[in-house]
Amino acid sequence: MCKYQDMVFTTSVRLVRNEAQAEDISQEVFIKAHENFEMLSTSPSAGGWLKTVATNLSLNHLQRYRKRWKFFSEFGGDSGAEDSPPVEFAAPDTFFDAVDSDERRAWVEDALSKLPDHQRVPLVLYHFEEIPYDEIATRLGVSLAKVKTDILRARTALAKIMSRDDASFKMLAN
Amino acid sequence: MNPHDSDKLEAAIHGVLRRLPDRKAPAGFEGRVLAELARRAALPWWRKSFAHWPSFVRMGFVAGSAVAALALVYGLFALGGSRGALQVAGGISNSLAWIAFARDIVSTFDGKVRMLIAAVPPLWLYGAAGTVAICYAALAAIGAATYRAVTFARQTS
Repeated sequence: MCKYQDMVFTTSVRLVRNEAQAEDISQEVFIKAHENFEMLSTSPSAGGWLKTVATNLSLNHLQRYRKRWKFFSEFGGDSGAEDSPPVEFAAPDTFFDAVDSDERRAWVEDALSKLPDHQRVPLVLYHFEEIPYDEIATRLGVSLAKVKTDILRARTALAKIMSRDDASFKMLAN
Repeated sequence: MNPHDSDKLEAAIHGVLRRLPDRKAPAGFEGRVLAELARRAALPWWRKSFAHWPSFVRMGFVAGSAVAALALVYGLFALGGSRGALQVAGGISNSLAWIAFARDIVSTFDGKVRMLIAAVPPLWLYGAAGTVAICYAALAAIGAATYRAVTFARQTS
């Protein structure tokens, strides 16, 4: 359990954003794992099983609230990025050089958590869980086009938030 | 954004996100899970889900449910064919006579309303329906805008 608890908690908290809820979900994951202990104890893919269950439980949790707030949260389009000017970002390696400190990692996590649910969830599923676009669309019950648009907007918004925070960081450092 | 920029952005974001380390689970998480497992294990079988019931209890429950369902169906048929059932039905019918009275009142009121609507010019009716629709849409828009404003303020604070 010690080996996987950070991975399970991380998977959940990146999807649901709320740490207390993510802890509850992670607990449920390990209780399910306990129920399937015989199968998992000998399985080389126990980590994958735990990650999948954490993802599914987190998505179930989000769906419960999403039905309630879908109309309001998606009404009127996004405050996002489609019409905004292109974001200036450094090349990946250079960019990540600046993200190596713990503080900057926390900023990236913070930037991720600032994204609205309908952008953050598909982005996390695509980049962290490596689920293809069409499967994300099926699991979230939305169109493929919407998934692609939301992920694109999420990347742009994330880059914008990180660029802004990066500028603030440099200003503080000087 | 052209496709080249889009690919570049995807690669950059992917690189940043994939190199993020896992977040630490809260302190005491393991103890909490173990305590919850112990609590659940200590529950009596009848407070657990059906899958955790002993097999002989599960079989007994299924058999008992089947017998209860058969008894209910048999009882309903027996009751429907008896003389007492007719007396019960007559009693119920008498005690619900007020429903017929209420139905007469409603049908009279309905007739008056229909006459009134027929007397109103159609343009007024369409105008009223349009006004109601606009008010409803405005209310929904104000609600959505308020929700988004509050959410945005919370996210940026």
